[in-house]
Amino acid sequence: MASDLLSIAKSGANAARIALDVTAQNIANASSEGYVRRSVSLQEVAASGGLGRIGDVSLSGVRLDSVVRNADVFRQSEVRRTGADAARADAEVAGLENIEAAIEQSNAFSGVVQFEASLQQLASDPVDTSLRASVIEDARTLTRTLNLAASGLDAAGTSLRFEANDGVSQVNLLTGELARVNLRLARAADASSDQTALLDQRDLLLQKLSGYVDTSVTIASDQTVEVRLGGPAGPQMVTGGTPSTLSMTTAANGTIGFTLDGNPATPLAGLLAGKAQALTKLADVRVDLDAIATSIMGAINTAQTSGADLNGAAGQPLFTGTGAADIALATSDGAKIATAPAGSPAGSRDPGNLDVIRQALAAADPAGATDALIFDISGTVAGRTITRDALRSIADTAHIALATQAGVDLDHEAVNLIRFQQAFQASGRVMQVASNIFDTLLGIR
Amino acid sequence: MTLIGTSTSAFFDRATQDMTGLRAQLEDLQAKLGSGEKLSRSSDNPVAASRLRSLARAERMATVDTSNANRAMSDLQLTDTALSSFSSFIVRAQELATQAANGTLNAAQRAGIGTELEQIHGNLVALANSRDSAGHALFGGETAGQAYMLDGAGNAVYAGTASAGELSLGEGQTVARGLTGPEFLNFSSTNLMAVIKNLGDALQGAVADPAQAARDALGALGEGLDKVTSSQTVIGSRLAWIDLTAERRTELSEMRSSEESDLGATDIASTIANLQQLMLVLEASQASFSKLSGLSLFDQLR
Repeated sequence: MASDLLSIAKSGANAARIALDVTAQNIANASSEGYVRRSVSLQEVAASGGLGRIGDVSLSGVRLDSVVRNADVFRQSEVRRTGADAARADAEVAGLENIEAAIEQSNAFSGVVQFEASLQQLASDPVDTSLRASVIEDARTLTRTLNLAASGLDAAGTSLRFEANDGVSQVNLLTGELARVNLRLARAADASSDQTALLDQRDLLLQKLSGYVDTSVTIASDQTVEVRLGGPAGPQMVTGGTPSTLSMTTAANGTIGFTLDGNPATPLAGLLAGKAQALTKLADVRVDLDAIATSIMGAINTAQTSGADLNGAAGQPLFTGTGAADIALATSDGAKIATAPAGSPAGSRDPGNLDVIRQALAAADPAGATDALIFDISGTVAGRTITRDALRSIADTAHIALATQAGVDLDHEAVNLIRFQQAFQASGRVMQVASNIFDTLLGIR
Repeated sequence: MTLIGTSTSAFFDRATQDMTGLRAQLEDLQAKLGSGEKLSRSSDNPVAASRLRSLARAERMATVDTSNANRAMSDLQLTDTALSSFSSFIVRAQELATQAANGTLNAAQRAGIGTELEQIHGNLVALANSRDSAGHALFGGETAGQAYMLDGAGNAVYAGTASAGELSLGEGQTVARGLTGPEFLNFSSTNLMAVIKNLGDALQGAVADPAQAARDALGALGEGLDKVTSSQTVIGSRLAWIDLTAERRTELSEMRSSEESDLGATDIASTIANLQQLMLVLEASQASFSKLSGLSLFDQLR
């Protein structure tokens, strides 16, 4: 007889102990991020009979076959893909909201309207010094609001670039980490608890990486991964133990681009793509804002020079500067507003040139342009917010789908706890039986 | 055996997500109620926000139009009063001319009447140089100085500009802001002040037949009075026009306010109803969450 009841019971107790350990580990990590529920796969140990021993009973108990990691590769890749989309939309909307706030909260629109209104008021009495002073003050407010909008946009751009830069270093950190995990995975024994922990780490790193750039992942037979940027044909980010270096380039207008090991690379999803898109919009908005500032300067300054001011002198430009950031008043003297036609004497009440100024301003229509600019950016924000919400809920659903399958269910573990405890107790009972049998044999007299 | 169900973390994730979503919606409604405004930023409703901006712009411009119209109104009222004074002076001059035309008066009496006409002439010149609400010449058009100057011979000479200019009342409507002196003082190639001055001079002995000069002047004075009273009618109709545009402005402003509140103001009733509904749902999901999360198999293991 080749079986040994005591050693069979021992292997059973051992297996139950390991299963209890795994259950305890599952319970302990019920809320650990990236932890995938483990289960044990047990296998019978039995020898087939040898020569002349056919039909013999040869049982040796049970052994641990592997610790199974209940990960679903498809759901994991869905979480990465949808997560990258949602991260891109999140970053883009956040950036666009900052741009919207910069333009809207600068009150540039009311600044323009107020300036128009005070020019219209001046028409009621062009020589009134208090009305002239109010035109100058409203012009000053207008320049300040435009300065404010420009500096708000610049600040939004700076913070977007800062965050993108931080994203790039995070990507490099993650790819470096992935390369190291790859090296260790290549050496880890199959289905060991060491390997499962590394796989958890690998999947968590991949998920984090997908928050920054869109990736495509190929898993080799030794569980190491090859990561490419974008589609399966994109440039490599990690191969084996070698990570590539991502860097960011900033153009003169503040937009950003990326290079991977020196070659241009364009992420289409993830935080970096979102920041880049927001910066592109910001550059457009900045151009429009400058156009508004230059149209005001052009209209008013040209009209000014075709008239005579309150002192009878030829009109001089009212604004200086080259754009929204540096538009400023050339004078703070209300008498310098050229309301009268050229060649009029000092103190002329003729509003001829004031009409020219107002017509020039009406033709340039800075209020309409500012309204259009705010509408453009706020419309973009509204549209992108809807996209963002949709992508976010898709990503959340994918995340929950993965968690449902790969996460720890405490009820399940409670059942396992009882089950394996009973198995352990039963094995103990078997040992007792073996001992009783032995005692029985010894007790024969 | 596999238990069908959700993992513990997925259950908590889902509950958190649902309740956070509800809370965000509640806060949004609360903000609308608190501020009384539907839109906290343009992107909440870009089209309505743009409409609100153009309404605000129109409202701002209407305020200026109103103030300009008030100014024009007070200037025109000053003009109206001045024109009434002109009429009474002309009527007095007519009485005096009628007296002087009487052949029974002697030279000294006529000279006395002539002196009074001289005074009237002085008053008329002063009246023609009245100031408007901003301190400019009321009848001088757009001149910076006086409307009338006296030349070496004591004749009043118009020194103003040809027209009084127009003032915008908004929406393309304008009103002439006043009258220039020649517009109501000049008639038949002479002017009222010259007629009265000449008559005064004539009665004081400048012509051989002062009684005839007085009879001649009566016709001219009648013409002058006609001119002034018809000008007063013009001013009256301009004042009526300003009233009309003011009424229209008020109506438009009311329309704007109502559109503004339609677009931008919180509908209190429906918002509170929504709030109540969401609060009910949130309470229910909180209650069911705390019940469900209390259901653990571990409680049953002793």
